[in-house]
Amino acid sequence: MKVLILGGNGMLGPWAVKAMQGRHDILLTDINDPYPEYKGDFQKLSADDIDGVVNAAKGMDVIVNLSVLRPHRQLAFDVNTMGNYAMMLAAREHRIKRVITTGPHFQMVGQQYEEWDHDLNPDMPPAPGTRLYAHTKALGQEICRVFSERHGIQVLTLLYYNMKHTWNLGGPEATPVYHDDMVPYSTAWQDCGTAVQAAVEVPEERLATKCETFFVLPDLPHAKFNNEKTKRVLGWTPRYHVEALWNKEHRNPPSGLHEAF
Amino acid sequence: MNLLITSATSVTAQLIAGELSGTHSLRLTDLPENASGDIVPNELGHESETDELVAGIDAVINIGYQGQSGLPAHLMDYSTRRMYNLLQAAADAGVKRYINISTLRLYEDHEENLVVTEKWRTDPSAENVDLLNAHMAEYVCKEFARDRLIQVVNLRLGWPFNGTGADDTAAISSELIGAAIEAALVSEELIQWQDIHIQSPVAHQRFITNTAARILPGLAGSLSS
Repeated sequence: MKVLILGGNGMLGPWAVKAMQGRHDILLTDINDPYPEYKGDFQKLSADDIDGVVNAAKGMDVIVNLSVLRPHRQLAFDVNTMGNYAMMLAAREHRIKRVITTGPHFQMVGQQYEEWDHDLNPDMPPAPGTRLYAHTKALGQEICRVFSERHGIQVLTLLYYNMKHTWNLGGPEATPVYHDDMVPYSTAWQDCGTAVQAAVEVPEERLATKCETFFVLPDLPHAKFNNEKTKRVLGWTPRYHVEALWNKEHRNPPSGLHEAF
Repeated sequence: MNLLITSATSVTAQLIAGELSGTHSLRLTDLPENASGDIVPNELGHESETDELVAGIDAVINIGYQGQSGLPAHLMDYSTRRMYNLLQAAADAGVKRYINISTLRLYEDHEENLVVTEKWRTDPSAENVDLLNAHMAEYVCKEFARDRLIQVVNLRLGWPFNGTGADDTAAISSELIGAAIEAALVSEELIQWQDIHIQSPVAHQRFITNTAARILPGLAGSLSS
């Protein structure tokens, strides 16, 4: 398939590209230059440039929007909200059947959910609240939903939270913290990338509706967030389960006892 | 009360200002490219100008439907980012109530025989940019109410204004618009996010208005029973 990636030079982009390269024809776009290691097609483009996105989407089968901007209020709306608007206008213009959009889990699971409940799942009504990042991304998702309902465009939303390097389980924090309380929504970068691939490739008949959302995280024992749908529908199988974050340090079994008892 | 009315050059804002000017102190604002005369030009950005705009204001009346015109990207920016900025500034300033003027046209694809009330989900069009942006403005408002930063009354008005034709089954009069806003400003029956549907009693009335009659009791005589 021909896949247009918006905002492909951020943190997630290289992992998504790695998962899909050789399987699909990728046009990578971003406002920044690509990583030196990237050898494919590239176009400098801002996700909120409606005309530019519409032009870049011509002839594409799928659009993947990985663009994100968090702290600056104007830019957050431009990228997180208007970026999805541009994507949906492009999909409508070129009759593109599927778009993939990404964001943080709290664009759906706001504080009123997360601080209270367990078994949170991606089919709940969004309740992002007013935190800038969550709010702007949620608005982008809502635009996608409205366009999906009117035009039958398949919208697959992948929600992430805490991404981890597999070599040391480090993430956004300054230094990795092992064997301690963790963010119960942590996913290895590699698995974040393969989720994008799975969303691009999942057969239409496995989607219950035209607009589906998925929580991208491995099986974690906290039971805070439910990833069952992601595994069942997308066929996504995480390779890493970040055990060192939720197991205590290795200890020998008590003397004289077989470990099983 | 000290009221701020946005998109002040729009037909809806002019109508509302005309109805409220005798009983309230009005501050009118619009984007600089629209504003003139007594209308305060303001970009609704995230800097201090918007804080100054809402200083001393008791309630904001925001024109959430057809307040602005222009390209789709401009309208989307207005109904999302600028609404967020205004709501944030109002919440920070302690403004107690935010009345969002929306439209019952968000249900226009529902057949007229259906008993559409505030409990029904809206069905905005992706093709009609005015309706899409009315929906997006409602979305932004609702999240501020959800976070309990400000109380929001979402008034969905019928259409057309002052229509008298046989097909105008969702029409609303200017007087009723003014009376509904007056009542919404003082009602003590409102929850944090309060949808209210308003239209005039006309032949074959399309939308029922029982919620308005219940929580805006001063309106009861102006609504169908």
